[in-house]
Amino acid sequence: MARGNNEILANLEQIVGPEYVSNEEADLQPYTWDMTWAEPRMPDYVVMPKTVTEIQRVLRLANHRKIPVIPYCNGTNIGGLCVPEEGGIILDLKKMDRILKIDPETCYAVIEPGVSHAAFSAALKATNPQWKGEEFSKGFEFGWGVHPASASVLAMAINHGIGHLNGRIGINSQLISSMEVVLPTGEVAKIGSCAYSDSWHSFLPLPRMDGLFTGWLGTTGIVTKLGVWIFPIRPYRDVLTIAAASAEDITKYMVRWRHYSLCDEVTAVSWWLAQIPIVFPYSPKPADAPEFFSYTVISGWSEEELAYKRKMWKEVVEKERAKGTKLIDFEYPPEAKKGRTELPSRIVGSTKNYSKSCGGGIAWPGTFAPCRSWPILYEKWKEIYIRHGLSPATRFTDYQGAHYGMLRCMTPFNKRDPASVQAARDAMVECVRAGIPEGMLPYKPPVEYQNELNAVADAGYMYLMAKIKDMLDPNNIMNPGKLGIR
Amino acid sequence: MSHLLKNKELKELAKIYDYVSMCTHCGNCKYGYEYGSASNFAAMLCVQGEKFNFDSYRGSRGKVSLARSLLHNRIGWSDKAAHVLFTCTSCGACQQMCETDIKPWILRMFEALRYEAWKQNVAIPENIKAWSSTIGTLYNPYKEPHEKRLDWLPSDLRYSMPTKAEYIYFAGCTASYRRKQIARATVSLLRKLKVDFTVVDDEWCCASPLLRTGQYDLAAKFVEHNKALPEKYGASGFITTCSGCYRTLGRDYTMDAPEGYADKYGKMTGVKVLHTTHLIEEMLNKGEIEFTGRFDKKVTYHDPCHLGRHAEVYETPRNVLKAVPGLQLVEMYRNRKFSYCCGAGGGVRGGFADYSLETAGKRVREAEATGAELVTSACPFCYTNLADAIELNKSQLKMEDIVEIIEPIVRRK
Ligand SMILES: Cc1cc2nc3c(=O)[nH]c(=O)nc-3n(C[C@H](O)[C@H](O)[C@H](O)COP(=O)(O)OP(=O)(O)OC[C@H]3O[C@@H](n4cnc5c(N)ncnc54)[C@H](O)[C@@H]3O)c2cc1C
Ligand code: SF4
Ligand code: SF4
Repeated sequence: MARGNNEILANLEQIVGPEYVSNEEADLQPYTWDMTWAEPRMPDYVVMPKTVTEIQRVLRLANHRKIPVIPYCNGTNIGGLCVPEEGGIILDLKKMDRILKIDPETCYAVIEPGVSHAAFSAALKATNPQWKGEEFSKGFEFGWGVHPASASVLAMAINHGIGHLNGRIGINSQLISSMEVVLPTGEVAKIGSCAYSDSWHSFLPLPRMDGLFTGWLGTTGIVTKLGVWIFPIRPYRDVLTIAAASAEDITKYMVRWRHYSLCDEVTAVSWWLAQIPIVFPYSPKPADAPEFFSYTVISGWSEEELAYKRKMWKEVVEKERAKGTKLIDFEYPPEAKKGRTELPSRIVGSTKNYSKSCGGGIAWPGTFAPCRSWPILYEKWKEIYIRHGLSPATRFTDYQGAHYGMLRCMTPFNKRDPASVQAARDAMVECVRAGIPEGMLPYKPPVEYQNELNAVADAGYMYLMAKIKDMLDPNNIMNPGKLGIR
Repeated sequence: MSHLLKNKELKELAKIYDYVSMCTHCGNCKYGYEYGSASNFAAMLCVQGEKFNFDSYRGSRGKVSLARSLLHNRIGWSDKAAHVLFTCTSCGACQQMCETDIKPWILRMFEALRYEAWKQNVAIPENIKAWSSTIGTLYNPYKEPHEKRLDWLPSDLRYSMPTKAEYIYFAGCTASYRRKQIARATVSLLRKLKVDFTVVDDEWCCASPLLRTGQYDLAAKFVEHNKALPEKYGASGFITTCSGCYRTLGRDYTMDAPEGYADKYGKMTGVKVLHTTHLIEEMLNKGEIEFTGRFDKKVTYHDPCHLGRHAEVYETPRNVLKAVPGLQLVEMYRNRKFSYCCGAGGGVRGGFADYSLETAGKRVREAEATGAELVTSACPFCYTNLADAIELNKSQLKMEDIVEIIEPIVRRK
């Protein structure tokens, strides 16, 4: 069965070639949904451009005919962000998969949207840091998450993705150094140093126009090239672990440890998240089990550097213990350690966790929150989750500098059971509502979270956002319905 | 609420709805990769996705999603749906990558989808329909007379094969009708190695093409027939040179019926199924084989999907090749569990010959890139597709089955 209309189909075929367009439902169906609760919606066309010019022409056509356009790489965002709320064109960017440049001297790379984490990582590992041909070490890395390796590096970075260097260097949008975009009206613009030369190393000291395209969920344009900083792989890595009896205690330890800026990452997971699979539906944890388990990854250029970091970490633990913080020793399972040290991990963070116990549903209130709010919100979220029959499978991860970090609750649910879907959605939305006054902000927000945010946002902020959106996308064709401003 | 099972007409699929709905739609199955201190592998492995682009074609996610969309009654059957289903080579690379509980069900689900497709008025590839219409009486998918099945066997042997033996050499349809030299080399090898075996004229197609294309009902009588052969000939096992036969006799015939499935056929028990490379490796390990010559060539080995990913036999053929004096084994980038399909499986060679050969052409280029002069494999069906692609692409590569390499230069100690 076909959708859309034949005239537009013919136009699209003219632009990208018939084998790269389809309006057949059997082709459109994988683009209708994702792992979240988002209600499936059919697009009318899927289009796979191979060049910037093709994207420009598709956008001009879409503007002219006022057809929604949804940028898409792999649809693994866990926010329903590529579900076409109002139908239209899925612009599947996978065919644009070139790594255009890896500069081992200035330490950046330039990639297209279709470059997967798998391909990027393999290329970086095979490139050695050097200065004028003299090699320093083996291989580069980027901030690797624990998502499927087919996921796009570009899509992750422009949506504030979180990788394994978040503690040391920051989240992945902080590693973007330049970009090229096609505006909704079809013009192409370069932003950052690449606007002046073929060097893609930095946005600074220019006005930060990249902000018009990061965190906007594909509603303001199509990013067609991205410069990102890359980092030499440190040859020594270790994982140090500690558990705690409460969210309060684990947060105290994490914040103190983070002040030293000695780790690549420090994360804590609640007992429920430490179980594989996550306990679903909720059941209480054993009374004697710690409430939180934490790991921190340290890395270095020598065993001595690691030894120093281990020593400092021990001091932190001892100082906290001396103050009465209840920290409990525990052994990290070897498989988990491998997943943290051999990166990007083949162990895809969460998929294993979800499917057996439930019916394939995954979502989360994934948020950035000030660290001081973690224990407060954990207690609130725990109450909300248990009330809805769900396990508070919570994660705290500190981002660079002890200012703020991830507060997230992984939530399996049974897609085949409407009551289970409803309970999960209600619990998650309630958590977001409870969190906003504490400084918490959802990332890659599903429409429901965005509505919660918009309801309490500063009026001037909303006005400015709407103004920017109208200026860039006068016909509101880009991923309509997502940010809730138009 | 759109995730409810609404289309109960699709009975075979509905039975595994619990498994189908375990797919998280994560997309891990769309790409092959492995990292770690020793490995740094990343490559597209899905031949279908590489050719037909859209997510509907990429890995299992597209097909699970199709199953769900049909079961939820959100889309109907169409020729396009059939194209999505029948252009998959069942290579199993997607299954290899999946980490969730649907993993063991993925290929079975593809078959269940195809089973349902046969009942709809949709474009099943004409060629598949054609061989399916005669296989029930000719017992092979090549439309050849059954009486000619043993024509490959030299006449002096044909009538002197024992009526009872420890093993039945199950040549399979491709070696019997299309790659006779592999069957002949196998028989000669088994004789040299003094294996107690026989060849039987009432061997039928193992049913691999039927099962892989979702024709369960038709397959049942083939399974019932073949599984009775060992008892009839007093044999304790089958030896196969065909990876498809090995997978089917060794796994499909012997596995428990999946939960929720009515048993399609009785399970075969107490029968050993060996691939020729297993037999050779075992005899090498026991010191029972002596090489009488050398094979001074640089060789690369193509993992047949049915022997590799489907049955997890990766090292046995390599161990055999490594034992051959003079043979230098080199690997293609995509090897073992991350091998790239030759493009023939899942009914694709019959259904879409051009696309199948295009895929084989890609594999041939990958083999060429190793600098090897010869590509070998352990399956007459892979042999056929790769040899045809070598010819079509005017490649300098030579193709020989492992048995053809070994047979001239061994004897039993
Ligand atoms: C099991 C699992 C674990 C995960 N773990 C992590 C993790 O550790 N860290 C993390 O950050 N994420 C994680 N994710 C989320 C997700 O995988 C990543 O954010 C990923 O990089 C998204 O890539 P994608 O190709 O799927 O993007 P898509 O889902 O296709 O797109 C994401 C968003 O970007 C927009 N977009 C896509 N391309 C463009 C473009 N060129 N221009 C403008 N807008 C565009 C889309 O419209 C959409 O709004 C996880 C997901 C899963 C399923
Ligand atoms: S079995 Fe092979 S061809 Fe089919 S979807 Fe999986 S990876 Fe692709
Ligand atoms: S089949 Fe497996 S790997 Fe593929 S999308 Fe489903 S759960 Fe993920």
